[in-house]
Amino acid sequence: MPRERDPLVVGRVVGDVLDPFLRSITLRVTYNNREVANGCEFRPSQLVSQPRVDIGGDDLRTFYTLVMVDPDAPSPSNPNLREYLHWLVTDIPATTGANFGQEIVCYESPRPTAGIHRFVFVLFRQLGRQTVYAPGWRQNFNTRDFAELYNLGLPVAAVYFNCQREGGSGGRRS
Amino acid sequence: MFTMWSSLVDDDDDNRSSKRVSCSPSKSSTCSSHPPFSPSSPKKTMDEVWKDLSLSSLHHHSISTINNATANTHHAFRSTLLQDFLARPSNMDPLRTGTSTADPSSAGAATPFASPLPPPPTLLSLNSLPDFHCIDDTDPMKPHSHFHNNATAATPYMYPPFNVLAAASPAFPSFRKKRPRGSDDNSGDRRHKRLIKNRESAARSRARKQAYTNELELEVAHLIEENARLKRLQQKFCPEASAQLPKKHTLYRTSTAPF
Repeated sequence: MPRERDPLVVGRVVGDVLDPFLRSITLRVTYNNREVANGCEFRPSQLVSQPRVDIGGDDLRTFYTLVMVDPDAPSPSNPNLREYLHWLVTDIPATTGANFGQEIVCYESPRPTAGIHRFVFVLFRQLGRQTVYAPGWRQNFNTRDFAELYNLGLPVAAVYFNCQREGGSGGRRS
Repeated sequence: MFTMWSSLVDDDDDNRSSKRVSCSPSKSSTCSSHPPFSPSSPKKTMDEVWKDLSLSSLHHHSISTINNATANTHHAFRSTLLQDFLARPSNMDPLRTGTSTADPSSAGAATPFASPLPPPPTLLSLNSLPDFHCIDDTDPMKPHSHFHNNATAATPYMYPPFNVLAAASPAFPSFRKKRPRGSDDNSGDRRHKRLIKNRESAARSRARKQAYTNELELEVAHLIEENARLKRLQQKFCPEASAQLPKKHTLYRTSTAPF
């Protein structure tokens, strides 16, 4: 069996949060001039303010939805709040950024207490401008169901990073 | 099979089955249909129950916090049967091999227990124990196959609760006496739970490392390509710029400090 290379699959993001998809739009997430690459590590102090999100595409009349979730809430060994919604922005025009969209659920800074959490950014293409209702609460959000509910289809881009509590010492020896 | 499962768990089954059914279509709609002050309690209850069962929790107190008093007697003969089960591991070999091959039609002793097997994966897919639905997943991670091949691994601990419940009603209909649990049983369970948790944690750690490595490799490949492309562009448009590399490779003074 050929070894799986895609970091999203190896890191179980495809599986726990998303279905397999093909990337078609560039998604760049930057926290304080440091770009998010799959599987890289950030500390909560670097994630306090919302990141800069730049999306690709070519037609300003196409709109995208950005979702940021934590599938490992409250802890990866016991993720009973999977997924915890951190940010939800809709109606982002192609080639622009998240601040051009409608913030449905405002950015909540990640603050994991136990374990090393994954934080996933997912980009969906919208069929047109649409009204999206904020869920009643952030926990137990389901990205798949959300996409189905608003006819968003499969994701067009995704990226994830790892984060543990500020004083945590787990993970890679750096 | 759902009905068999719900008939075995005689108390709370109406609650549970209704919760299960209502949870199956989509989590978000379930959450929104419940009263706002207790949005996640049905799921938590289900999760708690499943977690306790699948991790073979033999502790009465942890289960009775969820169920009502009549359930305690239920768990009493669950624990008794489990002790008997643990005392006679040879009987359960067919079950183990049966589960390892994922074949419900193995030895006779396994057949009544085989039918509850399909519900657990479904049940699992509804809640949040990711690593446990490697039962029928093609999960490439090593610990998954290890579970099935290792005789003392998690498998007996995932399925005996169902065996016990399956055997409970027909075999021991009126067995209500509580047998006090030894401390070594407790530590054995704790050890097993810890082992499973540690395995999962190790698998996650390996996945994390591998994902990061893959990402770096992809980036390196991408950067090498971009570098080559930019160098080509530079040569094409600025041939004299690329000739500005230092010709002399000997040491020479450039700027000096004031002292």
